[in-house]
Amino acid sequence: MPSSPSHSPASPAAEAGPVALRVTGLAKAFGPTVALRSCSAEFRSGEVHAIMGENGSGKSTLVKILTGVYRPDAGTVELASTGGRLATAPALRSPGAAIRAGIMAVFQEVLVVDSRSVLENTWLGADTVFRSNLSKAERQERARAVFAELLGGAIDLDAPAGSLPLSQRQACAIARVLLREPKVLILDEATSALDVATRDRLFDGIRRRRAGGMATVFISHRMDDIGEIADRVTVLRSGESVGTLERAEAGPDRLVQLMTGADHLAGGKSAHQRTGRPRAAEPVLGVRDLRLRAGAAPVSFDLCAGEVVGLAGLEGHGQDEFLRALWEGGRSGRVLRLTGAAQTPIRSARHAAALGLGYVPRDRRGESLFAPLSVQENFGVVTAGADSRFGLLSPATRRARLAAYTGSLGIRMGKPSDLITTLSGGNQQKVIIARWLAREPRILLLNDPTRGIDLGAKRDIYTLLDKLAADGVAVVMLSTEVDEHVELMDRVLVFREGTVGGVLDRDQLSRAALVSAFFGQEAAR
Amino acid sequence: MMRFLRTRPYAFALVLLVVLLIANIVAQPAFATPSNWPETLAIFAPFAIAAFASTPAIMSGGGGIDISIGPLMTVIDMVIVADLLPHGLGSPGIVVPFCLIAGAAVGAVNGTLVTVLRFQPVVATLCMNFILTGLATQIEGSLTPQGSTWWTDDLAGSFGPVPGGLISIGVVLLIWLGLSRTAFLRNLYATGGDDAAAFSAGVDVTRVRILAYTLGGLFAGIGGLALMAVLREGEAGDATMYTLVALAAVALGGTAFTGKRGSLIGTLFGAGCMYLITNVLSAARVPDTWTDAIYGGLLLVAVIFGAGLANATQARTA
Repeated sequence: MPSSPSHSPASPAAEAGPVALRVTGLAKAFGPTVALRSCSAEFRSGEVHAIMGENGSGKSTLVKILTGVYRPDAGTVELASTGGRLATAPALRSPGAAIRAGIMAVFQEVLVVDSRSVLENTWLGADTVFRSNLSKAERQERARAVFAELLGGAIDLDAPAGSLPLSQRQACAIARVLLREPKVLILDEATSALDVATRDRLFDGIRRRRAGGMATVFISHRMDDIGEIADRVTVLRSGESVGTLERAEAGPDRLVQLMTGADHLAGGKSAHQRTGRPRAAEPVLGVRDLRLRAGAAPVSFDLCAGEVVGLAGLEGHGQDEFLRALWEGGRSGRVLRLTGAAQTPIRSARHAAALGLGYVPRDRRGESLFAPLSVQENFGVVTAGADSRFGLLSPATRRARLAAYTGSLGIRMGKPSDLITTLSGGNQQKVIIARWLAREPRILLLNDPTRGIDLGAKRDIYTLLDKLAADGVAVVMLSTEVDEHVELMDRVLVFREGTVGGVLDRDQLSRAALVSAFFGQEAAR
Repeated sequence: MMRFLRTRPYAFALVLLVVLLIANIVAQPAFATPSNWPETLAIFAPFAIAAFASTPAIMSGGGGIDISIGPLMTVIDMVIVADLLPHGLGSPGIVVPFCLIAGAAVGAVNGTLVTVLRFQPVVATLCMNFILTGLATQIEGSLTPQGSTWWTDDLAGSFGPVPGGLISIGVVLLIWLGLSRTAFLRNLYATGGDDAAAFSAGVDVTRVRILAYTLGGLFAGIGGLALMAVLREGEAGDATMYTLVALAAVALGGTAFTGKRGSLIGTLFGAGCMYLITNVLSAARVPDTWTDAIYGGLLLVAVIFGAGLANATQARTA
């Protein structure tokens, strides 16, 4: 049995049948990062089973294992055979193999081939490499039937998929899966790209197929959607399945409590937490009517000197675009550097740097690290001017400047001339931060700077940010970790669906309040 | 007219082809004489087929490209001339299967290097290019081997009323047409268009890509035969002749090097344009010293214009 604290097998969902898919003790790690620790759950045929969890809880990893993209390090996946008996699933080696086993998924990312027709996209992957199993007439007929169900009308099957609006492109990806009559349908945030009417028709379609015995695994950031269609909810926290609730028990408060694990974290307040700093009145950065996505409400925001502002939300809800807009200037709306009465719109990253901004990107390896270069070269690369004498770089000056930061940031390394790749992830990140600090920015933008680094290095970075803020530097930091927001931030902007869904001040911050806001709920306190 | 240009990536090359045909006939009325067609087509065939052979790898996406096509054709040409014909193995029942199997095998090796071993396509096929060029030098030895036989001479001329060049080009097009009746081309287009979407939908992207390179190699085998027929000799120096111009023909024919769109018929039009440009230049008595520079310039304009048109299409549909 999966670890289920609900202990209520006596109230099965109305039409729920036998178990269609069971996962037991699934685990998956990527290097030192544990994505899934121990996940167990049973998905019955004839039920809609929601999976909930905050960022990094392991939802995506679970889905990628079930769809054959990843192979688990440990644990088993069992699938009901036609006789209804569970058997260890045939090796899910690729999405193709998972689809043949009856497990099919639709993702948040709209996976259609823009250049090909709607019809081809709908039947994509249904053929083997050479043989097509159905005549064109039959393909057209069955595609029309599914689109009628999903879109409530006809669609031009010969139009290139790229010419359709987003909602209909996602409908192509959903039609593709429904046509193949899955035993287990996985919707991984697949409804966020759909318009409301299409989403409702999809839910009706799922209800019909539920009556026919299909199991649905449903992942959504909309608590309302989960309440509307899910029969049971399994909650993941830090890669572990921590409970499965029946619909009746799955109130928002209970779910948030399970997701945050508030009961074992002393109310979600941790040791380092600062007492609120008096916010300096002087604004240094202004955002005016910044629209992050078509159709999303515009964002306006003022950043003050000496405050640390967090950007939070489930991944992919606009926080990344927002931070980049602060650095590169917005495409719609304005981002203004405010100094006294002067307002200067930021035009580009280079311009932002000249105006006293610094940006530490998320992807260390891809966006900020020069792997073939040494520690000191990596440090000095944006401030080479300070090290040059008569146009030549002076390594001695650079070493001296770096030494000042190795002390204050606690960078642990061999010699400054060692390759940057010889350092641990945390120390690499500190060198990148030092690179920008050397320009003495007044505004520091950090994109998930503590991702994948060890606890000691995290603490050093927290201390550093405290110190910077005390010196009047304004900090905006995107973080995928709820704890980090609770510990560190003066204010947190919670992003939902491409706009700011809520702002939490220091005294409102708790794990429960944040996670509630992620899922569009008022703080349950 | 504009709609036709926008919706078909090869439309620009087709229009240019018609313009160049007229220009050729005006500059050189003999060009239109039917008795000249077999020779014209025989010379055009190896070049067109080199361009065909370059197309599937590019269409498979993921930065796919095969720059070993030219040397592969040359090696096949040389093995026929230097090894098969002198040893009495010149019958079509031996030569044709040899060309097809050798070509496909080299293509399959390229495809495996790229997909399974994950070499960069440019690097993998450049290595193959060097290996094949080296092989060609080995086979050539000190004397350029020469030779031909009755049916290869017909291939360079005509079989009865049918020009031989038309046959070798036609065979490639027929293979493609045959494939279009299977699921393979749909899978190839989907893989090139968006490999992540194709993979997640269950398309065996790895096999589709290996087969794309294999198909290119198979075409190169046919191209090697067409080359042998028209040259009647095997010179290692020819190995580099077709490599880059074939890629230019593919680009001119509207196939994107990202793999997101393309067609074999476009490549035929692109190759036709390039052939006719050289032809009209020599007919117009442009000095030899200038032809390369003018040819390159015209090509640059044509490729940029064609790509611009295709991108405008993309932007509209996106």
